Amino acid sequence: MSNEGAAGDVVSLSTLGTRPPFYRDATVVKWLSQVVGLILVLLGLFFLASQAQNNLEARDIATGYDFLGTALGSDLGSGIDTDPDTSGRALWVGMVNTIRLAIAGIALATILGVLVGVGRLSRNWIVSRTSSVFVETLRNIPLLVQIILIFVVIASLPRVETDQGPIHGWLHISNTGVSIPRVTIGDGFYQWIIFVIVGAALGWQVMRRQERRHDLTGQQTYPWLSFTGVVAVFAAVGWFAHPVMGWMGAIFDAIASGVDALTPGVVQLVISLTAVGAAAQWIRRFLASHRTPAGLTRLIDDDYFRIIFAGIAAVLVILFVTLGWPGLSSWVINSGRDLFEVIADKFGDGRTGAPIAAYRPDIEQLGNFPNYGPAGLNLIQALAAVYFGVVLYTAAFIAEVVRGGILAVPKGQSEAAQALGLRRTTMLRRVILPQAFRVILPPLGNQYLNLTKNTSLAIAIGYSDVVQVGQTVYNQTGKTLEVVSIWMLFYLACSLTISVVVNFFNVRMRIVER
Amino acid sequence: MDDGDGVGAPVIGDKPAIERVATRPAEETHRSSAEWIRKNLFPNPFNSFLTVAFGIFVLVSARGLLNFVFSEERGWDAVRTNLRLIFTHAYPEEQYVRVWVCVGVVVALACLSLGLFASGGEGLRLRKISNALNATAAAIALGVVLREPSVLIGADGETVRDADGVVRQSFAEAMADRWAWWLAAAVLAVVALAVRRVPKRSDGSPAAVPTLDFAIGAMALPVLSTWVYPWGHYAFADGEFIAEPGRTVAMSTKVPWTVMWVLAVASLIVGRWVSAQVDERALSRLRAVVAFAWLVVPFVLYWVVLRDPDLDWDRIFTVDAPLALAFGIGGGAVLWWLTADGRGELGRIGAIALLGFAAFHWVAAFMGWYPMLQKVRISFLLLAVMALLAHNFSGEAAKRRRLVLAWLVITTVFHYFATVMNTPSTVETPTEALIGGFAVTLVVAVFTLMLSFPLGVVLALARTSRLPIFRVMSTAYIEVVRGVPLITILIFFVVILPLFLPANMEISLFASATLGYTLFSAAYLAENVRGGLQSIRRGQYEASDAVGLSTVQRTVFIVLPQSLRASIPPLVGQVIATFKETSLLAIIGVFDILRMANSVIPAQTQFLGIKREGLLFVSLVYWVFSYMLSKQSQRLERRLGVGER
Repeated sequence: MSNEGAAGDVVSLSTLGTRPPFYRDATVVKWLSQVVGLILVLLGLFFLASQAQNNLEARDIATGYDFLGTALGSDLGSGIDTDPDTSGRALWVGMVNTIRLAIAGIALATILGVLVGVGRLSRNWIVSRTSSVFVETLRNIPLLVQIILIFVVIASLPRVETDQGPIHGWLHISNTGVSIPRVTIGDGFYQWIIFVIVGAALGWQVMRRQERRHDLTGQQTYPWLSFTGVVAVFAAVGWFAHPVMGWMGAIFDAIASGVDALTPGVVQLVISLTAVGAAAQWIRRFLASHRTPAGLTRLIDDDYFRIIFAGIAAVLVILFVTLGWPGLSSWVINSGRDLFEVIADKFGDGRTGAPIAAYRPDIEQLGNFPNYGPAGLNLIQALAAVYFGVVLYTAAFIAEVVRGGILAVPKGQSEAAQALGLRRTTMLRRVILPQAFRVILPPLGNQYLNLTKNTSLAIAIGYSDVVQVGQTVYNQTGKTLEVVSIWMLFYLACSLTISVVVNFFNVRMRIVER
Repeated sequence: MDDGDGVGAPVIGDKPAIERVATRPAEETHRSSAEWIRKNLFPNPFNSFLTVAFGIFVLVSARGLLNFVFSEERGWDAVRTNLRLIFTHAYPEEQYVRVWVCVGVVVALACLSLGLFASGGEGLRLRKISNALNATAAAIALGVVLREPSVLIGADGETVRDADGVVRQSFAEAMADRWAWWLAAAVLAVVALAVRRVPKRSDGSPAAVPTLDFAIGAMALPVLSTWVYPWGHYAFADGEFIAEPGRTVAMSTKVPWTVMWVLAVASLIVGRWVSAQVDERALSRLRAVVAFAWLVVPFVLYWVVLRDPDLDWDRIFTVDAPLALAFGIGGGAVLWWLTADGRGELGRIGAIALLGFAAFHWVAAFMGWYPMLQKVRISFLLLAVMALLAHNFSGEAAKRRRLVLAWLVITTVFHYFATVMNTPSTVETPTEALIGGFAVTLVVAVFTLMLSFPLGVVLALARTSRLPIFRVMSTAYIEVVRGVPLITILIFFVVILPLFLPANMEISLFASATLGYTLFSAAYLAENVRGGLQSIRRGQYEASDAVGLSTVQRTVFIVLPQSLRASIPPLVGQVIATFKETSLLAIIGVFDILRMANSVIPAQTQFLGIKREGLLFVSLVYWVFSYMLSKQSQRLERRLGVGER
């Protein structure tokens, strides 16, 4: 606040022209109140922390993250590793489960939500009514109730039987859960995907050329069709020729040994320099944005605060990598090497199988009762309940977002498009949907965030997501504080990732304004 | 984007969807039904296909749902018998009248406010009522036909079975057996026809009834039916399961509901009568009183009526009352002195000194220097806050009197509740919580909203303020809380909060859960309020600066009223979200409505493992409340004209 703001305070006439007492000076009050506020918050936190320390000492509980390396006494219900060696590994399995659930959920919820949202705007009475009922029912019932209801309903289904009627072998639904055909990446997938990437790059160029030609001549040049064609050709050729890419493995092997050769000091230096560079870059841009043709505008103290804060952030990063966690750099080196070695292995020789494999679900009888075999994609009871719960619930919200977005496009736009003589499909594709998409995207990103967070309700029915595994871990080790901190960091990282991705598209879709 | 091509084109139809919604079909009455069907169901081959496909889907789903709900195997007795458990859990039988008093107070206050606040409006058109009745009749008829025939019951009362399983009636038998449903549908259709025949009003406008009167009048039907129709009597009496299908419901059900209905009608009439009698000025004062009552009522109902504090009168006369009196009179005198004419700078210095004095007691409490009643500390803090605001009221005697009066009200309310909350309850329940079931859902939701709203406003103001440290702290808080799931925050507060508290301090599950919900909800509310704050034009700030308002005055009198009005729709959305999120209480071990259906009822020996029925009922309860709230918010939005001015 500048001095003009201070004049806004009630000042009696007699004191005009003289300096106000210090406790009413705007700058003093402003900074004093903030510092006092900060101190109060810090004091409060300090008080809570000291209480926690006292209580923990009184109960003889040690703090720290050592428990991540100790053994976990129980198995997990599902995941990439149902019998993890350590608590850390178990939490990792939980995180992978959450991420898988979130990605699969986002995919299906988007498709379903768009269909229902467009369906609600349909002129077909029964389609729009059904969509309305879908939305109004699902979004007014708490997600947790829905998940538990689905869970209970699945539990009441008949048992798995070796013969299950007409679609046997394609889809199984029983009290164990749902089993559907599984499509997975096969032996030669990584070699093949190189072909596809090259094809996509080439196809992109072709598409741009076709678009330019269309703009110049007005001929119909089918840019998207050309792109798809080029990619398809490369994919088809690669399907048979992919073993020739085996030599790629050597490159990644070389990178892996290169990473291994780094010393921790170098990594620390790189991270520190990056932090300093980023801060400097930010300050430079900040100053540039405050520069007018007449020179640098006067910076208010708020701006100085930002600049100082950027510097402090860089210093904090440096302190963290050098003093706070010196092991970070060797961890980076090791995991980097491992990553490249794994990739190199994927390209290794002898991988000549098909790039993509598909399996039909099977039923096998090992013990007394038949059960789903490993071939199909098995959504066990708890997973199916969480998955369909969050998908249906989020789809109802996405449908509303989509509907709102389409309705937000001004009527004049479609009228103008009709006046130009565009066909209906062209109008939708070129006029309505691009504008609707701009409105839809930010709330859509919000829904993706909500879906990811909502997968944590899996704890109610015992699906081993990160929260449920974390609960198991702290029940066994008593490290509640640490587990909660891991949860929070994990979910914050997920939220950040989603917002970065959504924001990326958001910036790209934005109308370029003067 | 391209996938929209395939989906959007055929479904949206031959005109853009925007047009359809923008111009509401006002004149759809004069179209023949054949034309309507052709236009809305079979305009082109693709839509005909969609119609058939969706029609089959709807019929199959409806049949499945009906077969499930009306199946002879369903254990609806589990829900019927446990209704009281579902709504209030184990509140003691002999004190149950307290629950009814709470319901009665809320009903009366609601109807009183409706009578005082509601403007006439257009009312419900009879045509609409008739359509709804017709639709209901058609749905009943369709349902009767769709549902599979009932199983045959033999002479011995057992279901008849043969080699293939249970034997069902033939279709004709089933249709004849359901004569009561046919009759109901026919009666509804006849009533619909009669309603439709009501002529237009003399001025030519369509016949209508006031919505509120219609709703309350319609409520009379179910209430009266409890006296006449044999809904059946199901209960647990001393652990004994009673099922008497052939009689009307118990006295302890029909009497209270009838009283509630009479109370609703009476308070509506009183509200209307009063608002017709008094002038505009008195009416607005009355409305302010009612609004204030809404703020206090939740606390009174929970802490006084439901909890029934066992007051220790000796202590009240020796400690509590004198303390309250001292703070009331002493604080009033201090405020009166601070606001006197010509106090000037001395008033501010005094207020700041008072704040320091109040803060010192808190530091002393944390450090454990000397004991002091928590009440006294909070009172000093309240007084300091009032003193800081005092300079806004200095000068005229009327303004000063208002400040002192406000202080007296605050002191009375605070000391009263502080005393009541610190008194043990006479109500004995088997669980730690006072009340469970749906009541606890409502209590937590209401307290959460009441506590998180001021916090959310403060956070939003801090986030948009020009003070960088406050802004950074508020932003960090909001983003962190919004980035993590509610369940982790609840677990944090339930499992970890006791670790952070001093050793002698205990916190109940209910309190820590409410605290967690409050801090969570505040971050979301803050974002909604921030949206409203950002909609305030710059000119408003400049104008308030120009007339010489201080920052506090500008915020309270100019910025907040406008921004809160702008953020009503998202705020109501947040209310609904909070209401739904209370279902998570079940995970952390509170006996809420979901836990009743999912764990408590299925554990009863009579209803072992019956979950689906209870969960469906719980879904229905949640759905009815959320749906009503969202419909009301849409109405409110239209009435306030948000976004239209």
